[in-house]
Amino acid sequence: MLRKPFLLLAASAALVIAAMVPAAARATTVYAATSLRDVFPRIDGGMTFSFAGSNTLQLQIERGAPADVFASASPKEPQALYAEKKCGRPAVFATNVLVLIVPKDNPAGITSVYDLKQGSPKRIAVGSAGVPVGGYTRQLLARMRLGRVLTQNIVSNESNVGGVVTKVALGSAVAGFVYVTDGKIASDRVRTIRLPTWAQPPIRYEYCIVQRTGADRAGAQAFVNKVRSPRGRRLLDAAGFGLPRR
Amino acid sequence: MRGSAWFTALLALALGVVVAFLAIPLVALFTEIPLRRIPSLLGDQVVRDALKVTLRANLVANALILVIGTPAAYFLATRRFRGRALVVTLIELPLVLPPAVAGIAMLAAFGATGLLGDRLARAGVVLPFTEWAVIVAVTFVAAPFYLRQGIAAFESVDPSLPDAARTLGAGPARVFARVALPLAASGLIAGWVLAFARGIGEFGATIIFAGNVQGRTQTLTLAIYEQLDNDFDVALAISILLVVLSAGVLLSYKLLSAWKSSAPTSPSAFALTR
Repeated sequence: MLRKPFLLLAASAALVIAAMVPAAARATTVYAATSLRDVFPRIDGGMTFSFAGSNTLQLQIERGAPADVFASASPKEPQALYAEKKCGRPAVFATNVLVLIVPKDNPAGITSVYDLKQGSPKRIAVGSAGVPVGGYTRQLLARMRLGRVLTQNIVSNESNVGGVVTKVALGSAVAGFVYVTDGKIASDRVRTIRLPTWAQPPIRYEYCIVQRTGADRAGAQAFVNKVRSPRGRRLLDAAGFGLPRR
Repeated sequence: MRGSAWFTALLALALGVVVAFLAIPLVALFTEIPLRRIPSLLGDQVVRDALKVTLRANLVANALILVIGTPAAYFLATRRFRGRALVVTLIELPLVLPPAVAGIAMLAAFGATGLLGDRLARAGVVLPFTEWAVIVAVTFVAAPFYLRQGIAAFESVDPSLPDAARTLGAGPARVFARVALPLAASGLIAGWVLAFARGIGEFGATIIFAGNVQGRTQTLTLAIYEQLDNDFDVALAISILLVVLSAGVLLSYKLLSAWKSSAPTSPSAFALTR
């Protein structure tokens, strides 16, 4: 009496669990820096994308994440993976520059980066020290001798550039440091303030093809070829990225 | 007889699976780094700031929850009115709401561009990136745990006792303070323990609404998230600290309720069972 419904229940539970175990992903998986979230799907919408801070992605790939391509906002992460023989030789495919963004209504009336060291402490958002955009921001401020911007204001450290954009777009922060390409993506909610060229650190995006058992090397190469194709370069350019000489 | 032994074995197997599944990750936390490194890892300025923020914000949030939540729960437990079921459901909703939704809701309500954000800003109150944002987020997600348990605790007080007090001339406030409150105490404490644990563990609403400002809004769970990418060992050390803290809260509550189990007039969420 008791056994039958129990067995039935167990069998159906097993069936449900079996059906829910994710099948091995068939699409090529691209792990890419958050700043590429808009342009990469335009280049090839058929990929499975995972966008996050490049340092986060590096960590995930080191721990065996099923990535096929890794596209980073800085050379450091792919070079580290290359040294660990977790991916092939990295190559540059785009460049970028930093800007300051403020909410469209600019409640703090910020017109230049120098405004951030004047007046009362302001709520600003930056990338945390480990994520490329955070590292670049600190380099830029150091070159401008504006390091105090990060100590005398109320600074929220975001794990990727998308977090910085959101905090500014929603007005939680009155300013944030992001890439010029992010300013374009969020142009309906934020205003972009340019930063001096002489203070810009070199910002190079590098990709590498992940080496692990079961990686889709052919699919990875095909995606990389699309990124480097004339159409890929045109889309990167339209999104505001700089292009390396070929 | 044989059938019953087979059945017992099946139950034991299920229990074994449950215990192993729940225990393995916790044990793994402790085996990932040498335990003697933990004190120095916890000495990191990031951890100290996060500990301060977490304790301060939770202290204030819990005080708010107890001071405002207790009379509110008493009202709901002792009065019947039109729409009461709706109010109770509303109070319980944050229990089942994903914390990320709570964070977005906070932004929509109190954020700079939110429903009340403009008015608050004009009144000089800016919540995002301040410790008050953490307190608001913690209170929102943790209060329902206390309120729900509080309503149940007050409801399970034998109604003849407050009635007796009333016939002996005690006013309603006196009945609440001297009769209902002591009788419901162990249930209220159980609810508070749940709310406290939930508040310490709060993450989703805080990171969305309060931001990640070290020394202001970066709580222990936010510090884990940030250190995950920077220094994995520090993230592990904070996690171990939180496991110990949570286990300590649970255990001390259990011991407390076992010790004073003389007046079991209200249900206890985790009484020691023998």
